[in-house]
Amino acid sequence: MEPLLAIQDLHAEYRTGRSVAHALNGVTLSIMPGEAFGLVGETGAGKTTTALCTMRLMPRDVGRITKGSVRFDGQTIVDMSKAKKRLVGKPKVPGLSEAKLTDLRGKEIAMIFQNPLTSLNPVYTIKDQIGLVYNAHEHLSKKDTRDKVAEILKTVGILPERMDDYPHQFSGGMRQRVGIAAAMALNPKLLIADEPTTALDVTIQAQILELMKKLQHQNASSLLMITHNLGIIAELCQRVAVMYAGTIVEMGAVRDVFTNPAHPYTVGLLGAIPSLTTKSDRLSYIPGNVVNSSMIPSGCPFHPRCAHCTEQCRKEQPPVTAVSAGHYAACWKGGHIDG
Amino acid sequence: MAKYLLKRLLLAVLVLFVVIFVAFFLIRLVPGDPVENMMGSSATDEQIEAAREAMGYNKPIIVQFGIYLKNALTGDLGNSIFYRQSCLKLIANRFGATVQLCIGTMVVALLISIPLGIVAGVKKGTAADVAATFVSILGNALSPVWVGLVLILFFGVQLRWLPAQGYGSIKHLILPALTAGLTFSSYVLRQLRSSLFSTLQEDYITATYARGVRRMKVYRKYALKNAILPVITVIGVGIAQALAGSAVVEVVFGWPGIGSLLVDAMGSRDYPLVQACIIVSTMIFVVANILVDIAYTIADPRTRIAE
Amino acid sequence: MSRQELLRRMRKNKFFVIGSVMLVILLFFIFIGPLLVPFEATSVDLVSRLTPPQWFASNEDGSPSHILGTDGVGQDILVRLMDGGKISLMIGIVSVIIPMIFGTIMGMMAGYYGGKVDLIIMRINEVMLSMPQMMMAIAIMAVLGANVYNLILVQCLLGWMSYCRIIRGNVLSLRNSEFIKASTLLGSGGGRILFREILPNCVTPIIINASQQIGQIILTEASLSFLGCGVPPTIPTWGLMISEGRSYITYAPWTVIAPGLALMFTVLTFSSLGDGIRDVLDPKNKD
Repeated sequence: MEPLLAIQDLHAEYRTGRSVAHALNGVTLSIMPGEAFGLVGETGAGKTTTALCTMRLMPRDVGRITKGSVRFDGQTIVDMSKAKKRLVGKPKVPGLSEAKLTDLRGKEIAMIFQNPLTSLNPVYTIKDQIGLVYNAHEHLSKKDTRDKVAEILKTVGILPERMDDYPHQFSGGMRQRVGIAAAMALNPKLLIADEPTTALDVTIQAQILELMKKLQHQNASSLLMITHNLGIIAELCQRVAVMYAGTIVEMGAVRDVFTNPAHPYTVGLLGAIPSLTTKSDRLSYIPGNVVNSSMIPSGCPFHPRCAHCTEQCRKEQPPVTAVSAGHYAACWKGGHIDG
Repeated sequence: MAKYLLKRLLLAVLVLFVVIFVAFFLIRLVPGDPVENMMGSSATDEQIEAAREAMGYNKPIIVQFGIYLKNALTGDLGNSIFYRQSCLKLIANRFGATVQLCIGTMVVALLISIPLGIVAGVKKGTAADVAATFVSILGNALSPVWVGLVLILFFGVQLRWLPAQGYGSIKHLILPALTAGLTFSSYVLRQLRSSLFSTLQEDYITATYARGVRRMKVYRKYALKNAILPVITVIGVGIAQALAGSAVVEVVFGWPGIGSLLVDAMGSRDYPLVQACIIVSTMIFVVANILVDIAYTIADPRTRIAE
Repeated sequence: MSRQELLRRMRKNKFFVIGSVMLVILLFFIFIGPLLVPFEATSVDLVSRLTPPQWFASNEDGSPSHILGTDGVGQDILVRLMDGGKISLMIGIVSVIIPMIFGTIMGMMAGYYGGKVDLIIMRINEVMLSMPQMMMAIAIMAVLGANVYNLILVQCLLGWMSYCRIIRGNVLSLRNSEFIKASTLLGSGGGRILFREILPNCVTPIIINASQQIGQIILTEASLSFLGCGVPPTIPTWGLMISEGRSYITYAPWTVIAPGLALMFTVLTFSSLGDGIRDVLDPKNKD
């Protein structure tokens, strides 16, 4: 079966003034139709950038894709190998035309944003904001739009009567439901959820996750779930990729990765979860800080924080090797760490 | 919202009281006898005494203030010495010209600043942005007196396209409106550019793109409405100021508005008229500001519908 | 911020560098310039009145010695510009410093004492902001009489509010901060805390505000002088020169153009410097 989304060796960077932040340094992943795929990592690992690149939505003046390709459902969203050098002006992004891409966004690929407080426009009613998806793609009449909005609001558990209210009249959890409604409005083939519950109360988090799970199953959409919460991955996803410093360090079925982690970073992440079943005096943690993406270390980017670091790790970037069937890791130890 | 407006109204009342107080006592700061000052040197002693009696200047000062306050609140701001007419009537006659100039100023300022501001905010660092920065810096650094005179020299004297002085037709309005509009457009431009730029960085704009809205429509419909809100305040303050009288431009172009009336009154030592001018001008300013506040409150749903 | 870091930021900021260069040019023009030109600012020479500058006149009317021509009474415009610049600059600087001090004290009192003091000061502040500034300035100057001191007084009356607001806000947030609480616990009195602890923390916003206002204050001075309610006609400020030149504008435009350009140059100098200072002192600005 062809994957729905295939990201190949994606590199991206942000430039502000003279400083360059290498946000993505060769990300490769693929998502099958109907599959729920998790992407975990610390803040600044490049998870959100991966999501934005998938829709070619990086901030125009500072961010750009430098290498690699993104393919979605038989279409090439971006393919830098086809880039032509231009002497004058900004280089044109090779891939789908802006118009075709616009048709794709919101209809085939939709996104739920991290912070429901900032991702809804404060001066438009929620009807306008959900309705714009229908407007942009289906050119419905005003009345039909209202009907559709009412229907989708019901699905996400908001009273349709509230559609003429503004975002500030809703609570955080309700606003995220609005965000989900706008994303699911046209049954997209791929739903990207960028930490959809991080900004919410714990009690609300469970409801929102339940809702997303339900809608994903109903519509048979694929899901790219971005989070730093491993529990959410275990709950929702079939496969998972662990990101560090703009690269994927480990990828595989959730069960394999979580029970048999091959990369020291994954081991560290799993060790940092408080557990009720196993008894331990203190939580383990990963020493050091998240890598600064404008100064990525040589060799394996994780080596300054790794307890198993060798000379080789400092000098050469480890290749991706198979740990078991469908379970890969980028580590010189190749899954044979004793930690 | 109602509470906020009530607060603004109370402040307006306070301002009215203060400005009447200032206007009343300011005249007493003039060296010499106030009545003699007002009557001018040609008046005889008997005339001065008669005026002193008529204006109540022989009463204690608190009583005088009470009378003045009462008169002012009932709409009697005294008579102009120079014109020998009711001050309020004189000001009312000039208000039309000030309103005209205000409208002209806003039309010019918005025609310059809105398109430039939008292009500059959307495409930071391009030629349009440089042009916008240039206009805003220049509008801020040029003296309106000088701009007015240079425009007169160029369009009025050299090219003879437009009348350099006077009031009456649209043609007369162009140069004064350009002068005041250029200065004001720099403020609007600056605000619009920065607020549009920061709006475009907002999450909800990325979200709007992610829902499949075309770039131009995002700019035109979804970003502009947010970005324009802080601009409304700037425009509002500008309108209030222009309505209160733009003395400099009015004098440069011999425009018969409130500002030039005040300057004339000052030149002819027509103190009752000076008093009346600042009281009325302040009132216009305050009322215009309250109206702008209401407009802003209505424009922004976050304040219109408070939880 | 260390001294080295400050110097590094100054050198790297283009507004600051351009502004500084312009300021040096301006000061050189005003203070050294008069020594290089063979005229007195006040020397009246009715014979050569309204002599056009040579580059302006098409025939031999122009005088090579009067580089910018002469005004209505035959005074050399270049020399008057240098002389007037001194006054304009002096008025500008004094009119910035006095309201700065006054507004700072008011803001510190309002923020530190709170309660009634705060209420009264902020009410006065609001009332002042609710008045049309230019019209009030004209009326007050009309009554008090046109001279330099009154001009500065008026600028002060109308200019202190922004400082007061900025400082009050700063003091309010500082008052609740840990280090102020700590020094109260250590037994510091109110005055000591205000001046030793709080004031140093407010210096940056004060300087930024002042440097951005100075250009506008010089422009206001020019406008008031033009209207006849600024400096008296014996003192040659740029605003007054424009005002005098207005009568000759149809046949001697150089009398107006030169002082206007000088004014523009000065305002640009200070606005560039002001933007530079803001960028240099702003801790959020990393570059």
